Amino acid sequence: MLNIAKKVNKAELTVTLGGRLDTTTSPELEKVLKESLDGVTALVIDMTALEYISSAGLRVLLSAQKIMNKQGEMKVSHVNETVMEIFEVTGFSDILTIE
Amino acid sequence: MKTIRGIKLGGLQQKIFNLMLIFIVALVGVFVAVSIYQQNNLTAIVEEADAEQQKAITEVSEETMEAVLEAAMTRSTAFQAYIADDLFGDVRSDVLTLQTFAAELFEHADSVSPHPFYPPDKANDGIPSAQVQHETGVDPNRSEALALIANMSEIMVSMFKNSDKLSSCFVATTDGNILFADDRAGAYFDENGEVYDFNVRSRPWYKQAVEAGELIFTGVELDSFTDIPGLVCAAPVYRDGELVAVVGADIFLTSIDDYVARTATEGGFICVVSEKGQVLFSPNADGLLRAGLSADAPDIRQSENAELARFVSEALRGSTGLEAIVVDGKEYYLTGAPLETVGWAVISAVDKETTHRPTAAMLENYDDINAASARSYQEGAKHSMQTFIVMTVLLILLALLGALFVAQRIVKPIEHMTRRINALGGSDSVFEMEKIYRTDDEIEILAESFASLSQKTQDYIKEITEITAEKERIGTELALATRIQADMLPNIFPAFPERPEFDIYASMDPAKEVGGDFYDFFLLDETHLGIVIADVSGKGIPAALFMMISKILVQNYAMTGRSPAEVLRAVNNQICSNNREEMFVTVWLGILDTVTGKITAANAGHEYPAVMQNGGRFELVKDKHGLVIGGMEGMSYKEYELTLTPGSKLFIYTDGVPEAVNAANEMFGKERMLAALNSEPQAAPEEVLRRVREAVDAFVKDAEQFDDLTMLCLEFKGGDAGEK
Repeated sequence: MLNIAKKVNKAELTVTLGGRLDTTTSPELEKVLKESLDGVTALVIDMTALEYISSAGLRVLLSAQKIMNKQGEMKVSHVNETVMEIFEVTGFSDILTIE
Repeated sequence: MKTIRGIKLGGLQQKIFNLMLIFIVALVGVFVAVSIYQQNNLTAIVEEADAEQQKAITEVSEETMEAVLEAAMTRSTAFQAYIADDLFGDVRSDVLTLQTFAAELFEHADSVSPHPFYPPDKANDGIPSAQVQHETGVDPNRSEALALIANMSEIMVSMFKNSDKLSSCFVATTDGNILFADDRAGAYFDENGEVYDFNVRSRPWYKQAVEAGELIFTGVELDSFTDIPGLVCAAPVYRDGELVAVVGADIFLTSIDDYVARTATEGGFICVVSEKGQVLFSPNADGLLRAGLSADAPDIRQSENAELARFVSEALRGSTGLEAIVVDGKEYYLTGAPLETVGWAVISAVDKETTHRPTAAMLENYDDINAASARSYQEGAKHSMQTFIVMTVLLILLALLGALFVAQRIVKPIEHMTRRINALGGSDSVFEMEKIYRTDDEIEILAESFASLSQKTQDYIKEITEITAEKERIGTELALATRIQADMLPNIFPAFPERPEFDIYASMDPAKEVGGDFYDFFLLDETHLGIVIADVSGKGIPAALFMMISKILVQNYAMTGRSPAEVLRAVNNQICSNNREEMFVTVWLGILDTVTGKITAANAGHEYPAVMQNGGRFELVKDKHGLVIGGMEGMSYKEYELTLTPGSKLFIYTDGVPEAVNAANEMFGKERMLAALNSEPQAAPEEVLRRVREAVDAFVKDAEQFDDLTMLCLEFKGGDAGEK
């Protein structure tokens, strides 16, 4: 179960996630990002309500990071402990800008 | 549905049958109603026509009767009057002859010699003869006039003989003598044998003739000798204007009386009325038109019956037409005609009821015929009703049979269809169109639909079969792939039976047929053992393929003698150079110095290893993490060292273990994993893995295994063990 809320402010896109970002749900986020990232220079992924992220979710984040590396910057905000641990374990904390 | 004689109760056949039944009953009902209405109507018309016809018959019949009657009666009355008058006319002419004769005699009295005459002789009774009578005190032999007229004796006898109407003819002299010619000489004598005196000049006919000075008819009176009704025609004879004689003739009206009496037939009669309005002859004994010969008989013309009075007056004046007049309370048709000679009238009467008899008879006859025809009509109607009932029953039976037949025709293909469909068993059999379904109606469409559906179903089954076969093929291939994958991993335990200084055990349970996890261990040289555990992002075949590449690359690079961090950096660069699918893999790589127990390791985003130093408990080693392999090119990885004392163990795993989820969506977690590891820290690697596995299973229970479950446990036993 994944909730995705999009908020666009000029070239700044905020995507708020809730629930679980796993194998089943990550294609949804992938689709949303694919559609929305054109012309976006600042992407904020708000993970306030995100409980869990699997390797499939990490893959989506990685893709987004790669795209944003080319056209602007990407931040991940409000990461909870569980997710932070996953980021750290997987080394994603090294490449993501986590606030 | 229950079945009786092949008809399914509540089935289509019965429904059609019921429908037909209702239709037929309704039809018959309407038919019966119309028939009854028509019959009533017809009866009414017949009755009305009957009444009208009766009325018409009565009217026409009465009119015809009246017309016929009028013609007949008028003519008959006139004829009767004519005949009656003829009687008087003959007498009249006889009397006139006598008058002329007498006058001649007296004219030529001088040249005529006296003629003998005789008194009545009894011997002559019944023989026509001439005889003399005289008034009392008169001597015939002294009468010159008598001797003179005696010359007429032969003529008078001859006249009497030749007439059947005359009862006598006579000549009276003015001196009181009379000469008779007749055949009743005997009647002139009284009981003493003496001849009656005859008061000649006091007789009514004598007086009336003298008084009138011309021929007269007396009224009817009874004959002085015979009491027979009769009348006298008399005429005076003059010489030089002086009365010299009176001639006359006597007629008995027996013939008229008889005739009139005979007319008293049923419902009709004839009567004769005198000039005084008195009824002279009538067969009636009572009533207004009864005979009354006396002088004081009532005058009909003065009757209270004004109609009759008027009619009689008219009849005395001239012939009347037919008139219907009520006489004595009975209605009669009357016609009248005058007897001109005597001034009387003949009146014919016919009872109207009698005239109506033919009409009545005709009506009766008509009624009979009518009744007969009504009977035959009723019989016919009854017969036709019976025929109708029989026809109706036949019709109903036929219609029901027809309904059964039609229903059978409709139901049969359906039943046939049902049998065929039920018989459709294997996927080979197809519902096919048959001749029985060619009904040109919905059944044909239904059958065609079935045939089409059946064909489609068969095609679909074929397709499904093919797909299934394809799937099975894929499944087979997947199973093969799984086996290949499994074979790729070192899976023969004990793996290094000749190396007592360490013991290693690993297991992999993919979530789907092929997974993305893998473990690996291989000897780099005599004293170095490479240990790998990895987790590819994603699942299935892609993950398996990616895993293969990763495994081979990691082993190959490791075999070149590079340090773990170097190996991971090289593998990462290699994978990133061609990773359009953006897959990645977490890898933990360690190289154990089998002599010293030192492990040099690098971690590319993989779970923390757990280490149990000899005699202690398993604990997670929060090592330095680099980014997952395949994430980003050019990443470098930090290296670290762990030293296992003999008896110590290393436990590495994929996230399938701590992230195994139960039905309540709770994760197994690292705490439970450590607890499972520490439930028997001294156990051999295989036992350690079994315990963790059991703990995971106990936690997850029936929930589906979501992620691959891959574990590896290494126990370092130390160089001493090896030397031993």
